[in-house]
Amino acid sequence: MSDLKTQIIAQLNLQDTKPEDIGDDQPLFVEGLGLDSIDALELIVLLQQQYKIKLSNAEDGPRVFKTVRTMAEYITDHQAQHA
Amino acid sequence: MYIRATGNISPQKTFGHQPLVDAVAYTGNRLACIEPDYKDFIDPKQIRRMSRIIRMGVAAAMECLQEAEVKVPDAIITGTAYGCLEDTNSFLSKLVEFNEELLTPTSFIQSTHNTIGAQIGLLLHCNHYNNAFVHRGFSFESALLDGMMLLKENDAANVLVGAIDEITNTSHTILNRLGLYKQGPVSNLDIYKTKTKGTIAGEGATFFLLANEPAATDYAKLDGLHTFYKPEGINDIEKQIAAFVERHAVSMNDIDLIITGKNGDAGEDKVYEQLGQTIFKAKEMLNYKHLCGEYPTAAAFAMWLAAVTIKSGRVPAALNYAGSADKKINRILIYNHYQGIHHSLSLLSAC
Repeated sequence: MSDLKTQIIAQLNLQDTKPEDIGDDQPLFVEGLGLDSIDALELIVLLQQQYKIKLSNAEDGPRVFKTVRTMAEYITDHQAQHA
Repeated sequence: MYIRATGNISPQKTFGHQPLVDAVAYTGNRLACIEPDYKDFIDPKQIRRMSRIIRMGVAAAMECLQEAEVKVPDAIITGTAYGCLEDTNSFLSKLVEFNEELLTPTSFIQSTHNTIGAQIGLLLHCNHYNNAFVHRGFSFESALLDGMMLLKENDAANVLVGAIDEITNTSHTILNRLGLYKQGPVSNLDIYKTKTKGTIAGEGATFFLLANEPAATDYAKLDGLHTFYKPEGINDIEKQIAAFVERHAVSMNDIDLIITGKNGDAGEDKVYEQLGQTIFKAKEMLNYKHLCGEYPTAAAFAMWLAAVTIKSGRVPAALNYAGSADKKINRILIYNHYQGIHHSLSLLSAC
């Protein structure tokens, strides 16, 4: 999850934020990290660039991008399915 | 109309309304802006998404509005020839890198030419008139003309008008290859002596708050603006200048100072030298592009210089003024051309 946090910081240009500043279960949007809809697009691009995962169903977005842990679980599940 | 406030980020120490005493010296054919600590002007959460040119534009606009003590202007008008080049370069590079399958959303959204005006509007929650002009060497002048018309027609009591252009590594490489800039080591302080082809690259973010009613703190009165495209020759330019001056009910004798757009390119500077022998003969002519470099909206820097000169009544030392230090400067004519194509005249006077 630490790598994923580093990638999120780089993709979103979260200045002055370190991986350890982001809690595994901290909400990414609105409260918590305070991300918005443009950041959601950036996270979709991150999944595609780094993990070759295309988020085909937009309705999955809120669940997948809820926290760093939910993102990591989604990536792990996807990789297991396509192994 | 009146210049109430200014904000200027340039290759000189112009931000923070510091007096322009000594010119900052550069070696090479590229001048880069001296940037402030943006956190004093922009919410850190917003900064992370802004590229360099957006930060420069927003910070210069905010400084201008703070000086004017205006929270929300009646209009926001920007002029830029290049737009947000860094963002454009970023999203186009990614497009190629990822085989046209992926866009980087932030860079894509912010690559448009109206991004800075829009960002200022968003930050101020300003839903008023917001327009951006992308007219190459007339971009700033077009924005200024739009603002002047809004004030003249009483559609606005105050307008925020600005010019923003950046030079990036990519654009500098391309324009350098096209022969726009001088080759070999050159100091910006010596560009008028070189007598060779090419100029030095520049950039800047310059904003003005214009108002239709005077106030005690105004910098200067903006009497007029005129643009002309591809003049037929020196006689045509002289006619344009004479007609512009006459239109504003003044003569050349009433003008204390002329600021020209001389940029060190032997070919492009010929016009200014010829005018110095004819219509500008015996007038004090000063150059400014050793301070900001050449870029399509550099005339905004000249207008800022003219405004601060008139407000203080004295020419900044960085302009190497040879005239009498006691002479109060009340009226300035700016004549600038960009690549011999886009010519503009502005007349400013003391309030």
